[in-house]
Amino acid sequence: MSKTIFTVAEKCVACKSCEIACAVEHSRSKTLAGAILETPPPQRRINVEGVGAYSYPSRCQHCSDAACVTACPTGAMQRDGCDAVFSDADKCIGCWMCVVVCPFGGVSADPVGKKALKCDRCPERTAKGEAPACVAACPTGTLLYLTPEEFAAERRQATARAAICGGQADEPNGMDILRSLKRTH
Amino acid sequence: MKIVIIGNGPAAISAAETLRARDRGCEIVMLSRERVPFYSPCPLAEYVEGSVSRERLFLRDADFYARNAIDIRYGSPVRRIEPSARRVWSGDEAVAYDRLLIASGSRAFVPPIPGLAGARGVFELKTLDDAEGILRRLAVARRAVVVGSGFIGLEATQALVRHGLEVTLLEAREHVLPAMLDSEMAALVERRLVEHGVRVRTGCAVERVLEGADGVRAVIADGDEIPCELLVCAAGVRADLSILEGSGIASERGILVDARMRTNVEHIFAAGDIIERPDAPEKNRVAPNWPNAVSSGRIAACNMLGIDRRHPGLEAVNVVRVFDMPIASFGVQTGETCLRWQDGAGAVRKVLLESGRVAGGQLIGEINGAGVLHEMMKKGTAVERFGTHLVHPGFGYIHTMEPLRAVKWA
Repeated sequence: MSKTIFTVAEKCVACKSCEIACAVEHSRSKTLAGAILETPPPQRRINVEGVGAYSYPSRCQHCSDAACVTACPTGAMQRDGCDAVFSDADKCIGCWMCVVVCPFGGVSADPVGKKALKCDRCPERTAKGEAPACVAACPTGTLLYLTPEEFAAERRQATARAAICGGQADEPNGMDILRSLKRTH
Repeated sequence: MKIVIIGNGPAAISAAETLRARDRGCEIVMLSRERVPFYSPCPLAEYVEGSVSRERLFLRDADFYARNAIDIRYGSPVRRIEPSARRVWSGDEAVAYDRLLIASGSRAFVPPIPGLAGARGVFELKTLDDAEGILRRLAVARRAVVVGSGFIGLEATQALVRHGLEVTLLEAREHVLPAMLDSEMAALVERRLVEHGVRVRTGCAVERVLEGADGVRAVIADGDEIPCELLVCAAGVRADLSILEGSGIASERGILVDARMRTNVEHIFAAGDIIERPDAPEKNRVAPNWPNAVSSGRIAACNMLGIDRRHPGLEAVNVVRVFDMPIASFGVQTGETCLRWQDGAGAVRKVLLESGRVAGGQLIGEINGAGVLHEMMKKGTAVERFGTHLVHPGFGYIHTMEPLRAVKWA
C-alpha cells in the first residue's frame, strides 16, 4: 500500500503549523515571506477544528468511493496516480457540489478564487520523496505520513506500551494537564 | 450479453463505464436522442455566460466510445419499449437487448401558457441545443424574461445579466427558489438579484406570451405587458416518461426502482433523473442532480451484470450561486426547532431539527460544512448535544467523535 496521511488526534495542540505550511505549499512562491505578500493570499486546505478542550486537524480523507468525485459535473475532481483526490482548478467552475456532498467537510469553497479547495496530498513534495507539507510541519507527531501497515504497527506498539507500563499510551504532556482543567464545550 | 442503454447523459455514461470496466466482452449500445457526444449539462449557464468554453462541456475525449467499444447511435430517440420481445423501438428500427437501462433523463417542464410553446425566442436551458439557441438569440435580444426561479432560472438570469440584458424574473410562487428556501432566506436572494439589476416579480402568473414577426415580443403577467426579445422557460424539470407507454413499467413521478435500480419489469433497469426512489429522508422523491445520476448509473450497471450492489440513498441536496453568493439547501424547510447563525456580512445559516435530529438546512453565503450536516441528516445522528455549535460554520466532522475522546481523557 502507498503512504497516506494519518492523524493521531490526541497529540494535537492546535498550534496550526499545518495550516500555515499548507497555505505556503499552495502559494506561488512556496516561501512564507512570499506567501504573505501574495494577492489573493494563498489558502490552506487543512483546518484545525476546536472541540471543547480538544483540537483536530481536519482535511480530506481521500475516500476510496469519494462523494466529491461522483458529484463533480465538470470532471475537475479526480484521482491522481497516487490515489489522492484532487481538484483541477482549470476545470472547476465553483459550483460547490463537492462542498455540499463531502461528509467530512474536507472540501471548502474559496470565495475569492471561486474554486473548490481541498488537500491534494502535496504531489510535488511526495514525488520528491518528501512528506506532505502539513506532516513535515507538525511538531507533535499528530500528522503522520505512513503506509496503513506502518501506522497499524505504530498504534499496536502504543497500546502495548500503555498495557505494560500502565497509564496512558503516550507520555503525558502539558496539554493533558490543560485538558483536564478545561471542561468540554 | 447485449446491453442497451437509452440515454447519453451522466447516468448512461457512468453505467457504460462501469459495465466496460467489469466486463470486457459485453455488447453495449447507447441510444441518444441528441446528436452530440456526452456533455455535462450543469455548466450550460456558464457556457451561455461565456465563462466556460464549449470544449469544456465535453467530459470525454473524441475517442471515448470507440475505445470502450460502445455502439453509440446519435439522433435515435426511443419511441417504445417491448419487454415481451426484449426490444426497443427507435424510429422504425428495433434494437434487441438482454438487459436494458433507461437513463433518458428529464425534460424541462413547459407550463400550458398560451403562446409559450413553439414561439421563436423561447428557450429552455436543459440541453446544449437550448444553450446555443440562447446564444444566437442574444444578437437581437436586449430584454429577457425568465419564467421560474429554480436553480436553472437563477443561473440563466445571471448569465443574461452578465451579457448586459435587462432581465425580469417571474416566479409564480410567493418567493424565489421555493423548492430550496423559506421566505426569509429567499428575501436575501431577492435582494441580491435586485442589487444586480434584475427585476424580480414573485407571486406572478404568466398569462400569455405575445409573438411578433421577429419571435417573442412580450409577456403578459398579472395584467402587465413586459416587453422582451428572449424568454427562458425554467419552470422545473420532469422525468421523461413518454417512452414507457404500453411497456408495463411502473412509474409515478419517475420510474419506480428498488435499491438495485431494477424496475418492476425483468431485465429492465433505470437510473438518473428519470428514477423515483422511496428513500429517506422524504418518501418517494425524484432528486434530479448530478451525483444521483452518476451513482445510480453505476449501481444499475453492476446489477445488470449480476454483481449485487445496493444504492445507499439519494443525495437530497442542492447548491446554486446567485451572483457569486453560494446557496445550499437540503431536507425540509420548516422544522420544530430552527438554529440560526449569521455573520452580519450577509451570510446566514439555518439548521432545522425534528425530534433532536437534523431535518434540513439552508445556508446562504457561507456553505462550508454543508456536507457534514447533510450526512448527519442522512444518518439520523442525534444532535442535541451539539447545541448551537451545529449551525456555526466551524462545526465539523470531528464534533461527532468528541465523546469518545472525552471518555479517554476524563
